[in-house]
Amino acid sequence: MHKQQQRNRGRVVTTTDAQGCQRGSDRFRAPSAISEVEKMEPEASNLEEFPPELLIKHPLQHTWTLWYYEPEHSKVWQDRQREVTSFDTAEDFWSLYNHMKQASELRIGNDYSMFKQGIQPMWEDDANKHGGRWLINLDRKQRLTELDRFWLETLLCMIGEGFNAYSDDVCGAVVNIRMKQDKIAVWTANASNQSSVMEIGRKLKERLRIPPSIIIGYQAHKDNKNKPGSVIKNIYTI
Amino acid sequence: MSASPIARQATQSQSIPASKSIVIQDANQMPADYSSTPGGTLYSTTPGGTRIVYERAFLMNLRNSPISQTPPKNLPSIPTNLLKSTAPVSISSIKTANPLIKDVIDDASEQFEMDM
Repeated sequence: MHKQQQRNRGRVVTTTDAQGCQRGSDRFRAPSAISEVEKMEPEASNLEEFPPELLIKHPLQHTWTLWYYEPEHSKVWQDRQREVTSFDTAEDFWSLYNHMKQASELRIGNDYSMFKQGIQPMWEDDANKHGGRWLINLDRKQRLTELDRFWLETLLCMIGEGFNAYSDDVCGAVVNIRMKQDKIAVWTANASNQSSVMEIGRKLKERLRIPPSIIIGYQAHKDNKNKPGSVIKNIYTI
Repeated sequence: MSASPIARQATQSQSIPASKSIVIQDANQMPADYSSTPGGTLYSTTPGGTRIVYERAFLMNLRNSPISQTPPKNLPSIPTNLLKSTAPVSISSIKTANPLIKDVIDDASEQFEMDM
């Protein structure tokens, strides 16, 4: 009996006087070693539990490019725009979004931009030069309450072609993190195409759940370009 | 390893994931070509044809799918100051790290909080 006990104990614990302590740690070590093995296996079998439509990436209508702007004084403006990466499926969008900082976590003076592939986030680009932007200004409190939600809703609306037929006129969107006032803007291709601009503005306001009492404005890029720093007139409001 | 997800997709029958429903009141509202579905097709575009439209709820749902949790494919080229500090850096670093830290579970719960 006593011998048996000894042997049993010997199997679990190595031996020695500090039995309680040793046994405890051995017990702990044994299951954790097993769980480590299990942890590697289920990764494969877990995936099989998901319905196949979740394992197949959903293609987007367009390939989108994420840009990042950092105000490095040693560089001219164009070079401060950095192309981060491009994606063309909903899942690739999410894996990017899930791993990157939220807009509200960026440093003051920085921007994220997301544009259709081939369009640079600047007025001078051929796709933008006749266009303009719907502009949403956010006060400092809204950086914590609204900014990230507005930005995500804007991105989802763009990649999901939420502006329907007018989606072709959407070039991209920019979020500016600034000391006084953050901004989100949706850039469209043609400022003189009133029906398209208005429909995009209406949809944007609806998707962002901006109350009707808040009026947002649309400005032509050329007006911005000609009078940098001054107050730009809105050519449309909604 | 069994067949790839694509191969499995081809051998099993299942419904096409729906992102939207379109109510048809008149035969004129049907698309002209056989390969289109009303309101746009999910998986294919045809010449001059359909637009791949995803509703908000559908995209939000994909956020929780396993592939959406994986690191972006060109992670090394993304400036590190733009990455979330909690993001798992690589598989090897998770394996060597303390097994009690479960990055995956932490991530998942965060996603659910964000979900609206």
